[in-house]
Amino acid sequence: MLASLFLIGASLTTPQMSVQAASQTIVEDSDGGMSRAVNRMVGGIVSYARWPDGTADTPRVMCVIGTPRLTNRMAPDVPGTGSVTVRRLSAGTVAGRSDCDILFLGRMAIADRRQLIAWVRGRPILTITDDDAACIYGAMFCLSNRTASLSFSVNLDAIGRGPLRIDPRVLSIGRSAGGPP
Amino acid sequence: MTGQTPERIGARTTLQKLLSRFHFGITLFAVALSGLTILLAGVSALRGYADRNMELAAQLGAYGVEPALVFNDPQAAREGLEPLTRIPGIARLRVLNDRGQPLTQWSSPMADPAPLLTRMFFPRPFAVPIERNGSAIGTIEVWGDSSTLIDYVRIGLLAGLGCLLITAFGTIFLARRFEYELVKPLNEIATVTHDVRLHRRFDKRVKPLGIAELDRLGGDINNLLDELQGWQGHMESERAMLAHRASHDTLTAMPNRHAFDEQLAQRIASADARGDRFALLFIDADNFKAANDSFGHAAGDAVLVALSACIKDTLRKGDFAARIGGDEFIVIVDPLDADTVPADLANSIRACVAQPVKLPGGESYHVSVSVGVAVYPDGGRDATALLTTADAAMYADKLRNRSRV
Repeated sequence: MLASLFLIGASLTTPQMSVQAASQTIVEDSDGGMSRAVNRMVGGIVSYARWPDGTADTPRVMCVIGTPRLTNRMAPDVPGTGSVTVRRLSAGTVAGRSDCDILFLGRMAIADRRQLIAWVRGRPILTITDDDAACIYGAMFCLSNRTASLSFSVNLDAIGRGPLRIDPRVLSIGRSAGGPP
Repeated sequence: MTGQTPERIGARTTLQKLLSRFHFGITLFAVALSGLTILLAGVSALRGYADRNMELAAQLGAYGVEPALVFNDPQAAREGLEPLTRIPGIARLRVLNDRGQPLTQWSSPMADPAPLLTRMFFPRPFAVPIERNGSAIGTIEVWGDSSTLIDYVRIGLLAGLGCLLITAFGTIFLARRFEYELVKPLNEIATVTHDVRLHRRFDKRVKPLGIAELDRLGGDINNLLDELQGWQGHMESERAMLAHRASHDTLTAMPNRHAFDEQLAQRIASADARGDRFALLFIDADNFKAANDSFGHAAGDAVLVALSACIKDTLRKGDFAARIGGDEFIVIVDPLDADTVPADLANSIRACVAQPVKLPGGESYHVSVSVGVAVYPDGGRDATALLTTADAAMYADKLRNRSRV
């Protein structure tokens, strides 16, 4: 309840940004536990996204820009038949390409990020970041780890602007399970 | 018969009781059978609905907790299950991940109202696999409880009891009616036969009855009564004939001596009672023996018939004539009023007899009679005395006739 009040306050201070926080995934306390959790979460998010072309089974390309903070072994674990291929690119080369379905924004220069977010607007590209815990810089999904657990937040404005469709159940997970326990 | 009836009912059983017992048995059997059928059908239908309900609940839960399983998020899983916790009839929920470990579970705070019913209807939880893009990511298990069934069972039992009562009352009413319809015509038959037997009312008949078999029985009884009535009538006419024969002379069809004696005794008694008088005429054919001897018995008979015809002609209403011997007749002239003179009657008889009698052989015969008169009570106070007086008077007349000849 307090969390939602806080969120309302947050949305009032940043009128264009409506941020939904955040689901919490239990991270196994083992070697590579965080990597697995991140890959699983990214795969789950991808599986609930619908691109205007293709089906759930269509292989998707994830372009990783910058340095992911939570894992360096990025290999999204999509449940079911879907699959994701990972490419590492630099911020400058992305705009010239057209095969990126997903942008994973790691740590990067603020100017690059702003430019990329602006470029994505209106394109059928899913944006995920792990370097924006408050989820206010325009990525659709923001991963964050708090006290041995991984969670994600949803930026509804960013999703609303793009042609991608996201399963409302995922949005509701982000919406309802907000705040640290 | 009437006195025996209650003992018979005690010793045996009445038709009404028998029918009642029979009806009750049939009714009980039918109600039990239909009730059992409805119960079985109801239970199987209920079970089907309960299964469907649980399955739907499990599907709903699977849809709700699917993202939570994908993101391995127990909090989201709890929230995904929340709509299910508001559905009545769910005792317990559990979500397992793809490795069979529970992600979240929920138990109803409400106690199970009928654990036996639960064991019967939901022996196992419903387990529905949760899939994401064709691969199983977990399982949702739903345990049902009897809270929704108990109402149905309660209403069903009440309705069943109500139906049983209605059916029981209905059949009792119908049985009564049937018994009445059957027993009434039987009583009708019994009344008629009883009346016939006790009061010899052979003219009684069983009325037409509504039931074919009983109507046939009634018809047969009526036919039997027809025959009995026929026999009865025949017997009565036979008896009357015998009685007539016993009291009458066959040749002249006049009352005989025996009948005369009875009649005389009655007349004396009634004359005594009234203080009245009556006269006795003793009539005897004078030359009857001669006719018999010279012309044969047939001729004698013809003479007697002619004589009796003359006597009958002179009789007034209330008078009585009898043939008391071979050629002896007696007339009781009663009442004897002032206008009636016995001697005149005697003379009119004599005049009638004076006509020649046609004999069977063709001959003509002349009869003459002697008549003696005695008046009661002057000529004697009892039958014998009166007869003696009349007899004596007749002899006197006979002697006079002879001397006249």
